[in-house]
Amino acid sequence: MKDAAIILEHVSKKYRLSHQPYSSLKGILLSIFRYRRRIEVHQALNDVSLTIRHGETVGLIGVNGSGKSTLLAIIARVILPTAGKVWVNGRVAPLLQLGVGFHPDLTGLENIYFNGIILGLTRQQIAERLPAIVRFAELVEFIDTPVRAYSSGMVLRLGFAVAVHTDPEIILMDEVLAVGDEAFQHKCLRKIQEFQREGRTIVLVSHDMNQVRQVASRAIWLHQGRVMADGAAEEVVDHYLQFAEEIEKQSL
Amino acid sequence: MINELRELYRYRELLWTLVLRELRVRYKNSYLGFFWSLIVPLVTVAVLTIVFKRVMGMVIPNYSAYVLAAFLPWMYFQTALLDSSQSVLAQIQLVKKVYFPREVLPLAAVLANLIHFGLALVVFFVYLLGYVGAPLLPSVALLPVLVVFQTLLIAGLSLIISCLNVFYEDTKYIVSIGLQLMFYLVPVIYFSEQVYHAQLASPEWQRWIYLIYHLNPIAMLMTAYRKVLLPPITVQQVGVAEKQTFASLPMDWGLLAVACAASLVVFVLGYAFFNKRKWDFAEQP
Ligand SMILES: Nc1ncnc2c1ncn2[C@@H]1O[C@H](COP(=O)(O)OP(=O)(O)OP(=O)(O)O)[C@@H](O)[C@H]1O
Ligand SMILES: [Mg+2]
Repeated sequence: MKDAAIILEHVSKKYRLSHQPYSSLKGILLSIFRYRRRIEVHQALNDVSLTIRHGETVGLIGVNGSGKSTLLAIIARVILPTAGKVWVNGRVAPLLQLGVGFHPDLTGLENIYFNGIILGLTRQQIAERLPAIVRFAELVEFIDTPVRAYSSGMVLRLGFAVAVHTDPEIILMDEVLAVGDEAFQHKCLRKIQEFQREGRTIVLVSHDMNQVRQVASRAIWLHQGRVMADGAAEEVVDHYLQFAEEIEKQSL
Repeated sequence: MINELRELYRYRELLWTLVLRELRVRYKNSYLGFFWSLIVPLVTVAVLTIVFKRVMGMVIPNYSAYVLAAFLPWMYFQTALLDSSQSVLAQIQLVKKVYFPREVLPLAAVLANLIHFGLALVVFFVYLLGYVGAPLLPSVALLPVLVVFQTLLIAGLSLIISCLNVFYEDTKYIVSIGLQLMFYLVPVIYFSEQVYHAQLASPEWQRWIYLIYHLNPIAMLMTAYRKVLLPPITVQQVGVAEKQTFASLPMDWGLLAVACAASLVVFVLGYAFFNKRKWDFAEQP
């Protein structure tokens, strides 16, 4: 298993859903007076096993709530699985959503440093890559302006620029390409292709089936926390679209 | 816990960057910058001095220096706890997306306040040597020990508070009320000698009240700051009823040792508690 970037073995994830919101004092007090707080467990992932090899681009597809984001969070080591084993071999860089990790009062430059370090770079490495990051983001003349004064597209470009320059071995994308204008999406796609040529591993969640067909060689279809299909992107996407159509017919 | 500390060490650059970021953000849009954080204690101490000397009739030479010696560590305690209570929740979006040791968030808030405290202490010594003209005592060498144990105490409490605040947002209100009450239970505006001579106590109870009062580690640390930094004093109160003079009590080393041990225990327990819950943060809807 030397060429495996990610291995999941019988991974399950249960979220605890309390019907009585417990996050306030009122909730706690109320729950004392009820005989028992009902805790419902929601199984977001159910016995998922898969192996992703280095250099693969995998599209994760499935309806809303099928467990895609949960799976990415487990690969990113942000949440722990309830059961099962996870191996991740290589440095993971999640592509952050718009503005996550940025401080509006700090300049673009200061935010580059913070975001770079939180994604695992050293100060030294950031200093070396700074010109490339700023050029990629096309923000040369705004780099000493507080991020508060950026447009959302500029924030997006800056975040993306930092993430792609962290030299990650495994890139996780959760619907990040959906935002951003046409030109930016093109740029992202070009960067993804560059990553693919460089042999990096990409796991992307998307509801845009054309995009999945276009960039991913393999697709994994999740449904209610289970793997429904795993294979060549074309086939899995077709299978999934057929299924979605049937669901639509039934509901009419 | 050793593994957690090792991982934290691996992420020391992130911790340091967060500390700098905290300091930078705080003063980004102000002209006076760091001096704002000095103005609060200085103005408070000036008001306290006037009230206690002129209105309450306390007769103590250099009262302001004694108040400052306890008020600065109190400010450190208070602002560090308040800042860190929100520290994880404020970054919850990042916590949901990126792996890093979660404890860097509250610890950065504590360290940023530690740096403030250090700068405030420099100003304190300038004031002490330059304006008051008091001699520097050899016991000042113990100051770093007090700072270290106070920092452990604060860090332990911060870890607990920041963690609880993710799950129960009432925590920050409770902490802020608790701190306001606590202010009256630590020797800042009065002296620990006055606790010993509390009027409600019969003589045989004095010792016990003094002891119980100082079992609170933060109270004992404040008493210790005063005794380490400044010469012993005679508290003289021209009270409403009668004129009283209290002799200064020597430093109780046993109680100080208890306070330091308690601070260490709070840190270890706080860190263990945080570690137990820290991978649930990202699941908080
Ligand atoms: N923090 C949480 N606490 C409780 N339940 C959660 C939590 N996060 C997700 N869930 C539940 O787990 C299931 C899977 O969620 P997940 O976010 O992984 O879905 P998804 O496939 O990413 O959906 P979408 O396409 O809408 O992004 C959902 O039913 C959701 O309600
Ligand atoms: Mg999702």
